[in-house]
Amino acid sequence: MSEDTVPNFELGDALATRCGNTLTARFVPGGSKIALSAYRPVKWSTRDVPSETAAEDPVLIYMAQEATLYGEPLLRSLLAETNATFATLQTLSQGPKGDAKKTIEYIKISRTYRSIVRCCLEKLEHAKKLPEVQENDAKQQQHTDAILTFYAIECLWHLFEILYMQQQHNQLIVPQLLEWTRFHYPNTEDTATDLLLMAEEASECDSYWDTLKTLIMLGQLDVTRAILSQHRKFNQAAFQTAEQVLKSMPVYQDGYAMQKFCSQWEYWHVDLERKLAAHMFATEPQLELLMQLVSGSNEHWDAALLKSQDWYEFLPGYLLFTRPACKPFELRIAASNWVNRWSGLRPNWEMTQMSRMVLQLMEHDVKLFIYDMQKLNDSHWFATHLIDLIYHSGQLKSYFEQQHVDLPALRYSMVFEYGSYLMTSHNLWQLGIDYLDCCKQEGVAAIEQLLPRIPLKSERQAFKIIAMAKERGLVNVEQDICKVLSKRAYSDQRYGSALEWAVRSKDVLLVTAIADFILKHYSSTGVILCPDVITSIGARMFVSPRLVFLSKYFEFYEFYRQRDFLSGAELLINLLASKITPDYFWPSLLIDALPLLESEDPKIFCKETIAILQHLEMELVPLIERNKLNTAKFNNQTSKTVFSDYRVENVEEILDLMRLACARNLSRAMIIENTAPTT
Amino acid sequence: MSATVGAHYISEKISKVRWLPEKLTQSERFVTGTWDMENNFVRVWRLHVNPYAENVEHTPRCNDKVAIEGDVTGLEFVNDDIFAVGCSDGRLSLFNVHRAVEEDQIRRIAHSERLHEFKCSHANAPCTAINVYGTDVATVGEDGRLNVMNANNLNQVKRTIDADSMSLLTVSYVNQHQVVTANRMGVIRMFDVRTAGDGQPKISFMAACQDTKSSNFVSAMITHPMQQHILICGSEEGSITVWDLRHLNYPASYLSAHSSPITDIGFHRQDPSKLFTAAEAGEVWMWSEKKQLIDASQNDSSSAWLSGDRLRAMVNVDGVLTNIRKAINSFDVHGSRMVCGSDTEAVYIVNDV
Repeated sequence: MSEDTVPNFELGDALATRCGNTLTARFVPGGSKIALSAYRPVKWSTRDVPSETAAEDPVLIYMAQEATLYGEPLLRSLLAETNATFATLQTLSQGPKGDAKKTIEYIKISRTYRSIVRCCLEKLEHAKKLPEVQENDAKQQQHTDAILTFYAIECLWHLFEILYMQQQHNQLIVPQLLEWTRFHYPNTEDTATDLLLMAEEASECDSYWDTLKTLIMLGQLDVTRAILSQHRKFNQAAFQTAEQVLKSMPVYQDGYAMQKFCSQWEYWHVDLERKLAAHMFATEPQLELLMQLVSGSNEHWDAALLKSQDWYEFLPGYLLFTRPACKPFELRIAASNWVNRWSGLRPNWEMTQMSRMVLQLMEHDVKLFIYDMQKLNDSHWFATHLIDLIYHSGQLKSYFEQQHVDLPALRYSMVFEYGSYLMTSHNLWQLGIDYLDCCKQEGVAAIEQLLPRIPLKSERQAFKIIAMAKERGLVNVEQDICKVLSKRAYSDQRYGSALEWAVRSKDVLLVTAIADFILKHYSSTGVILCPDVITSIGARMFVSPRLVFLSKYFEFYEFYRQRDFLSGAELLINLLASKITPDYFWPSLLIDALPLLESEDPKIFCKETIAILQHLEMELVPLIERNKLNTAKFNNQTSKTVFSDYRVENVEEILDLMRLACARNLSRAMIIENTAPTT
Repeated sequence: MSATVGAHYISEKISKVRWLPEKLTQSERFVTGTWDMENNFVRVWRLHVNPYAENVEHTPRCNDKVAIEGDVTGLEFVNDDIFAVGCSDGRLSLFNVHRAVEEDQIRRIAHSERLHEFKCSHANAPCTAINVYGTDVATVGEDGRLNVMNANNLNQVKRTIDADSMSLLTVSYVNQHQVVTANRMGVIRMFDVRTAGDGQPKISFMAACQDTKSSNFVSAMITHPMQQHILICGSEEGSITVWDLRHLNYPASYLSAHSSPITDIGFHRQDPSKLFTAAEAGEVWMWSEKKQLIDASQNDSSSAWLSGDRLRAMVNVDGVLTNIRKAINSFDVHGSRMVCGSDTEAVYIVNDV
């Protein structure tokens, strides 16, 4: 676990040294990176001249990134699994409020979180022993760091659960605290198991009495008794008395009157002290020491404490033998006394962060605890999930009100930060979005900002992101992604793909631009790009009038190709009348009418011919005039003309041809239409 | 349903999962492929009896892994020991599984040339799906190309067809010679792999969609294992369209099912009366034909799936997995056991399906 050290940055490149080693830094948006570079302080009084360092050394920009544990794949499962639990908690809290059953549910959630951490720790321990990790120092260090951090987290969470989440009627916490130390100091229990297996030989073992002493101090009386009963001299009086004492120690049971229990315990305690005073264990000095510990003798505890690893290790055991009915609010005093006593025994002791956090919990200093919790190297995993749980369970509501802590706001900001962190790192965006979902408008805004920033590696991924945006009604994000993909495909000359993405994006301008490109490409080369896409665009064409024109024109083109001239002619007339023809396409469209007008057997009726003529005069002629004007204005520069195709030079000629063709067809059609059918 | 589900978090987003084929016994091994990870892997897993928990019978344990260059987009077995893997770098690989008493091993035995590329920029185009018929493997990619090759010789592509001018999402064999592909617009095309690109009959049809103005891609397709003219497609809007490939004028049935894009669709490996569908929102449903309703006098060519509007009444729908909240990308059913791979970075093993 890291101590309170502020990370130091020093650049040390040539430029920075010249400037007196000052540096500037700024956060890179959308990530956890910081960009650092050399910096010369500039004040209002600094003269505005080129700095003396100009052009001497290159400006180097360094990227600093927060070290994170989650590069380790095993920890991903922790994130993923807690994400599911987090979601369960959110749905749970949406149910009816003030239910007694709910407290149990919240404890269940808390246990689930802890068991996920435990499971992950187990996996880490296992992985640490693999050869590929053993050989790699960096990886091993990473594993060790992760184990340390999450071990501490689990330990603290467990203590928090005991002290603040459970609501017992009697509020006795000593048995649970014993359980807690048992979980977190399993070494003694392991040696005890060995001793039990050794049966009678155990008493010859060197560590025999030391182990028993530790067991007593951890408050594990049953195991102690079992080991003692295997002792060779168990039949002797001293052992029998000790057994009697340990066996008869009153244990509080539910439904028992507290007063009665206390007086029973008091009686037992006095009885034990009397036995000690009467030197009943004097024949066995080691056993006597054990009994002294059981009686809570300060002098003996002090001696034994010197061996303990941390201050809180034996506190629950001590409480068991001195104040078994300790209530949570009494723990506060007991804990601070105990720390004083413990630190008194070792003057050079410095409190580690872990020890301090345990003390904060025991002293009911949750506010400080939350503060320290955020300093852990876990990217706020612990803080976020625990605060969220506190918020939902509502247990400490009044405490936070007293302390003037705005719990909902705190939880909100933690969840928001954590969610944003996940969204921007290590491909965890699918997890992060769930956290941001709980953050109301700001969450939505963050999602809107962060979703389009996820690098798009394949369409499959794009579809997943689009589905996420769709689910949340973020039309803009959906469209942005489609637009990006459309432009990507367009610049790669995959026009069919570009057109389809554009249609998906529902961006009229983009669709029009691509349809324009396809039409222009056709009028200059006679080749239709991506015919398969245009055929199947169907009702989606109504996104843009230009696309409607394109698909309808393509339909005409297909009729023409299949020599279905009558349907083709009809469609062409409709297109001419539709008013969606782009300017640059008029010549093409009218020229397409030419073969139909000039064909051997008449295909266009009189009325339609007039319409064509009308379009010719009303649309194309003014267009040519305008075009001429423009060309003149720009003094024959190669300015952009609307007729960018090959027919531009002889457009006048075409005009004449068209007029002629119309006249011919008109006369022919009039004659046919006005002739009575021959019978 | 009496199915029990075990979720096992494995720290990887799973894109494909397949049981190892076993002829007579319930398969105990499966392979997974990952996507969107810093390092993607193909892994082989084995089920071990779980001695601790009461309601979770088995826990999977990874036996071997092989790193792969990109996202795994397709994974199918060619025979009992060899499987083909399509990758987002546009190449196809073959892997061999060595079944052992202790630790199974996998090994890459062949790696194809680049099968999919964007013509203009010459960049890799992701392979998006693969399908296997006998020893033939068909791949489709974002470049709209369909490749067919034999698993025995990946270096020689038997047929390349420029099937589409946009990306294809899925491919399925109808029979040895005919392949159907589906693209991002929901257009399904059928190709004959014996003839070259130009001589192809132009057979195409469109997946049905509730709102004709919105786009609706077909994301998964499968043909009925016994009646191969029945083609079942799952689409973006979550609906299922069934086609009778002998009558392509209109879809045979249309079912609105999930409310999110369908990610995978497949029949039970041994029991073709059961169809499974998985969806982006984290659901797996089982569609089982009601046995008693099928008239015995009817001939083989009719099937519940072709019965149009009556289909609803002829199949039962059960939720096998629900409320996973993130996409189930792939599943496989062997015997009474189902395995699902998901974006929650977990595999779900469902017993007694």
